[in-house]
This record gives sequence, C-alpha cells and structure tokens, in this order.
Amino acid sequence: MKALQTIRSSRKLVTLVWILGLIILWECGAFYIEAVKRTPENVLPHLWQIIASVFSTKVISNGQTATQIVLTNAGATLLRAGYGFLIGMAGGFLLAILMKLSGIVEKVAFPYLMLIQMIPILGMAPIVLAITKDIGVSRIVIAAILTFYPVCTNTLAGLKSVEQEKLDLMYLCAANRYQVYWKTLIPTCIPFFFTGLKISAPMAITASILVDTLQGDGGLGCMLSQSLKHAMSIYVFWQIVFLSAFVGVASSWLMGLLERRFSPQKRLAARKGA
Amino acid sequence: MKRNGSSSRFRQSITTVLYPLFFGILILVLWQTQALHAMLNIDPFVLPLPSRINSIIGESLPKIMTNVWATLIVAVAGLLLGSLFGYLIAIVATVFPKWGAGGLSIVTAFNAIPIVALAPVITNWTKDVSSDANIRSMVAKIIVVLLMCTASMSLNAYRGLTELRPFSQDLLESYAAGKFTIFRKLRLPNSVPYIFTALRVSVPLSVISALVSEYFAEYVIGVGRQIRENIVLGQYPTAWAYITVACLIGIVMYAVLIVCESILLRHRK
Amino acid sequence: MNGSQTAIKIDNVGMVYRADNQEVTALTGVSLDIEKGEFISLLGPSGCGKTTLLRIVADLLAPTSGQVLIDGSSPREARLQKKYGMVFQSPVLYEWRTVQKNIELPLELMKLSKEERAERARKMLELVGLTDFAHHYPQQLSGGMQQRVGIARALALRPEILLMDEPFSALDEFTREKLHEDLLRIWGKTNKTVLFVTHNIAEAVFLSDRVCVLSPHPGRLSAVVNIDLPRPRTMELRDTPEFTALVAKVRNSFEGV
Repeated sequence: MKALQTIRSSRKLVTLVWILGLIILWECGAFYIEAVKRTPENVLPHLWQIIASVFSTKVISNGQTATQIVLTNAGATLLRAGYGFLIGMAGGFLLAILMKLSGIVEKVAFPYLMLIQMIPILGMAPIVLAITKDIGVSRIVIAAILTFYPVCTNTLAGLKSVEQEKLDLMYLCAANRYQVYWKTLIPTCIPFFFTGLKISAPMAITASILVDTLQGDGGLGCMLSQSLKHAMSIYVFWQIVFLSAFVGVASSWLMGLLERRFSPQKRLAARKGA
Repeated sequence: MKRNGSSSRFRQSITTVLYPLFFGILILVLWQTQALHAMLNIDPFVLPLPSRINSIIGESLPKIMTNVWATLIVAVAGLLLGSLFGYLIAIVATVFPKWGAGGLSIVTAFNAIPIVALAPVITNWTKDVSSDANIRSMVAKIIVVLLMCTASMSLNAYRGLTELRPFSQDLLESYAAGKFTIFRKLRLPNSVPYIFTALRVSVPLSVISALVSEYFAEYVIGVGRQIRENIVLGQYPTAWAYITVACLIGIVMYAVLIVCESILLRHRK
Repeated sequence: MNGSQTAIKIDNVGMVYRADNQEVTALTGVSLDIEKGEFISLLGPSGCGKTTLLRIVADLLAPTSGQVLIDGSSPREARLQKKYGMVFQSPVLYEWRTVQKNIELPLELMKLSKEERAERARKMLELVGLTDFAHHYPQQLSGGMQQRVGIARALALRPEILLMDEPFSALDEFTREKLHEDLLRIWGKTNKTVLFVTHNIAEAVFLSDRVCVLSPHPGRLSAVVNIDLPRPRTMELRDTPEFTALVAKVRNSFEGV
C-alpha cells in the first residue's frame, strides 16, 4: 500500500514538473518575443500580464472590464454548448438503445453513423446558421450533432459487450425484455456511455465557440474575433484562450467524476490507482 | 434455433445493404421534391436541391479543385507531421517511462483544448515565416492540424509500444537482446495496429481542423473558407457544393485509410 | 432412494448443429433419469457435449431430437416457474452491485418486496459464509468467494434444480477442495437436485451420487457409474482406497478419447 502511494504521489510530482517546464518554456518564448517584436502581446505575452489583465479594473468596452466581458460571453456560449451536449447525449443514447432493440433500425442507422464520423460537421457550421437563422439554435444544433456520434457508438459498443452468461442468467430467471435492459444491458453500457461523453464534452464547447465566430452577436468566439481585430484589448483574446482550454479540460474531468459517481466499479478502480 | 442457415444469412446480407440504401434514396427524393423543405420549414434558397448542387459542382470544377488541393495539402501534411510527432513523443515516453508517462497526461489535457482557440494564436506566430501570405497561412494551418493529430497518435502509440504480449520481452531478453533490438523486433511491430487505431480518430479530425483553421487564416483559400465566404455572399448553392466536396474529402481519406489498414494488417487478426 | 420421483427425464436427446453447411453431431441418443435430490455429474473431455446437454435441460437450447421433461413438464415451463438456479464457469457477478444486491437480483426480477429480498439474501449469505461481505463489491473478493456469491445467487430463487457448469474449473486446487466441501454441506441442507458439469474426474467422484461419463465424436453417454461412498463426505475421503478405485473405474469407462 505504502509503495503504491509513493508511486501515486511521484506521478503527481511528474505532472507538476511538466507543467512548470511548460510555463518556463512559455516565458522564455515571451522574453524572446518581447525583445524582437513591437507588439509582443499579440504574439506571446507574459503569463503574468494575462493574469494581471484578469484582475485589472480597467473598463474596456460597454462599461465592462476584460474579465467581465469574458465571463458574460462565456455564459451565453457554454450554456448553449451545454444544451446541445444534453440533447446529443440523450439522442445518442436513445438511438443506441433503439439499434439494440431493433435489427431494422440498426441496419438503417449503422452506415450513416459511420458516415457522420467521416463528415466534417464543424465545417458545416455556417450552413447550419443559415438554415436556423439563429446563432443560439445553431450552437445547440452543432454541439448536439458532435456529441451524438461518440455517445451513440460507445453506448452501442457497451450494449454489445454484455457477457452472454448474464443474458443466460436473465433468461433462466424468466426476466422480461424491460428487465433485461434495465437490470443488465443499461448498467453495463454506462462506463462506455461516459467514455463517449468524455470525448464529446470538449467537442461541444469547441463547436459552440466556433459558431460564435460566424456572427457578431456575442459569445466567446465573437469576442475572440473582435479582440484579434483589435476592436478591444488583446488580453480578452488571451483570457478566452486559457478559459476555453481550462473549460475543455474541466468538462472532460467532470465527466470522469460523474462516471465514478454512477459506476461503483470505476470508483473502486480509481481508488486502487490503477 | 435457426434453421436453413445459408439462405437466411443471404437474406441478412441483402437487407444490410438495402435498408440503408432505401433510407438514403428516400431522403434524396424528399429533398429533390422539396418535401424535406416543407417538413423542416427551410427555404429552397438556403437548402438548394441536390440536382442544383450537382450542376454547380460540374460547372465550377476547376475552381473547386484548386480549393480541394489547398485543403488536402494542409490536412495530409498536418496529419502526417502530427502523427510522426506524436509517435516520437510515444517513443520518448517509452524510453523514459517515469517522466514520459507524466508528459503524456499533459498531452491528454491538450487534447481537450478547443482548436478554434489555437488557430488565431498560430496565425499570429507565423507572421514572419514568409512574405507570401499563401505560404505563411498554409504553415499556420498545417501547425493547427499537426497539434490536433499529435495527441491521439502519442497516446495510442504509447500503448502499442508498452502493452506487449506477456513474456515476449522476457523471451527476447533471455536471448540477450539489447534494448534497441527489443525495440525494433518487438515494440515497433507491436505498435502497428495501434497506429491505425490512432489514425481512425485523427483522419477525420485532420479534415475538420483543416477546414476550421482556414476560417482564421490570412489567405482566402480552401474548401472550409469557401463554404463560409459563399454563405456571407448569399451564394448558397455554391456553399453547398463545397460542403458536398468537404464530405467527399472526409469519406475518401477515411476509405484510403481503411484500404491501407486492410493491406498492412492482413496477416494479423 | 428407492421409489422417489423423477426430477429430470432425459429421453433419447440428440443435438445436431449446422455450421458452414456441415452437420456436426454434438449429442446423440442420450437417455437418463435423475431423481429428486440427486447429485449428478456430467463428466467428459471438451467436445463431448456435456455443456450442450446442460443447456438443453436449462431450456437455453432446444434439442434436435428427443425430449427433456422436468417434473413431467417441458423445460420452458420449468424455467417460467423459476425451477432453475444456474452457476456458471465464471462467477458472472454484476460489478456495479454489492454482494447482497447481486444475490437479490433474481428476487428483484420476481418482484419480491424489499424486506423479503433482504431476508432471503441474508440467509443465503449465512449459508455460504459471506455475511461479513454483504456490502462489498465483487472485485473486492477472491475468486473462491466470488463463486460462492454465484452459488448463493442461484439458490436465492429457491429453485428445485441447481445447474452448475464447471463452476470451480477456474479456481486453484486448495480453494476448489474447500468449495467442494462447502457445496456438499449446502446441498445437504437444501436438498436440491444438482446437475454438475465437469472435466475433473476426482471432483465428479467426490461430489456425486452418480457420474455420467460422456464421450466425444459424437457426444454420447458411454457409462453411468454409481458412487456409493458414504455421506457426509470430507476431505479425508480422497485418500481412501475406495475413492481411488472409483476414480479408476470412472477413468476406464471412457471410450475413444
């Protein structure tokens, strides 16, 4: 046990050293850029400058500070990403169940499911905006489509991974179809379902930000473009870069947390440090 | 128990093809007859008929091909460089397990960073690369694709290089094989299927990130940028033509990957 | 056991698979009467059709000829009346359920009340000696303990027939011998009819009232050996000449292996 703990704490140390190394690398770059460029903050500002801008009370536009701008716009973007994520999640899960329930549905849907994977949905964002004519709805639609595919395929793989013995057991206990799904198939596919969610959560956020950049109606992506065009402080841009990176990583982490909440076997595995 | 195994299996394989085909044709017919527009309440101007899209592709083929090449070069170059880079990271992580594996967890975190945030920064970074806007835009776009494709390759290749069959390493060590020999004879071949697992993820990803990086690029070229520009100009049929082409790029690249995989892995289960 | 009822009547059962347009005879002409409360082993090498026979009795497979009667009715009716409890080669536990919840699973399917489920699970846990582990998850138990949970779950339904498909073959020798004794103790208390599939001769002899020897190509019943060793049986029995003689007798009854 003790040896195990040492390994785990040393793994944390390794990660910490890596993060420190990346910070040093960034700062070296920033010092170099500062020496050779006229506007270094457009290329690579110092990390402390970005942090200072977060706490700065300087009003940048519409009576808001940089941080206020980022946070209010983040709300609009992330909320829509969240709606889309939930819709895609429910849709993906339901289709997987339907495909398992009905051979016809599986046959019709399977090739198209493969096709969705190959089609660059994100590249279709402008047309979705043109069809829906509403930026909020477009964000939701694109985030939902992107969430849909990983959730559906992973859940389907989970439903198909059930051991035959468990199904035999259900059969011997004369379980009805509803019981087979509710007691055996669905609990088995839960970890697979979360694998899908871990993949798709950052994708939903990416999609939502990208859709923002298509129109000037607010949202993180819109502020990002405006800041790049020097319509407002460039530090708004840098804050958004770090915020979106953070939210992307955090969303994936959150899904892992929920997974451990819902499946005891994952909780046990995580406690073992495997 | 199922009787008449062969004839029912034949019927099975027929329906596997026919059901989705019928569904696809149904959608196309609904689309062409504008029933789809009525159902979804869409203007045929925004969602042009398939026949119109088809004729546009035919009319402006040379121009479309120029943009296809621009996108394809970015996607393929970024995919190859990113995969190579990812594989190198995996090798380093294998050689230095303690520090390397920790680095890989950082790479995993990078994987969750939205590409849209990356693209504009990189456009800023590559300002000095060349005086030609086309070339420096292309470099910026390739870097975006490269970064997006690195993570999946490094994670999968690391698994391929380290998750060896039990005792295979012991066997080679008992022959007094050195680290390099073990690497070449055991780890490298073992990682090949994992490379394809990574590519199945990163091939579609490379096309998507190429299209998106074009949005933020300085120089106006590429299928993704054309979709956007044409919509801004209200030329929806042309935009749809480019969307169709973008989908075809994705499908063709994936098909090429599957063919390569089936040839290279034909002796493995 | 003179004059007791027939629990399972296997009447001239045959099973032919069709694979790649070839017919494979898995079982041919198997007939056997099993009495209520009897412990029967189906013993044979792989490919002899012993698991196929078990699955036919359990209504998991339909025979291509002959028939099986459980208490005079079909296996399907017996299954719907919850007359079967089954223990598999692997424990087949639900990794997201605690030990107690695993045992309660078949009872949930029967829609028993919460109190009754807990009460039955408690009794079963006591029977297999795992009372202290009720709230553990399967992954936290050893292989032997997991298989005991499997047995407890099978018995929780209060079935008339316990079907066991090589339940101890994945365990080490020490654990297996311990579980043999436990199984006999549990069987003695509950008086189920047991159909036990194995490829281990000593195991079959130690546990059974009768050992049914099956031979492959095609799968058929080649001998039925009565094991008239006294009960209760303990570990020491294995060292007696009577035991060794019966093991030899069973081994010699194989044909064409």
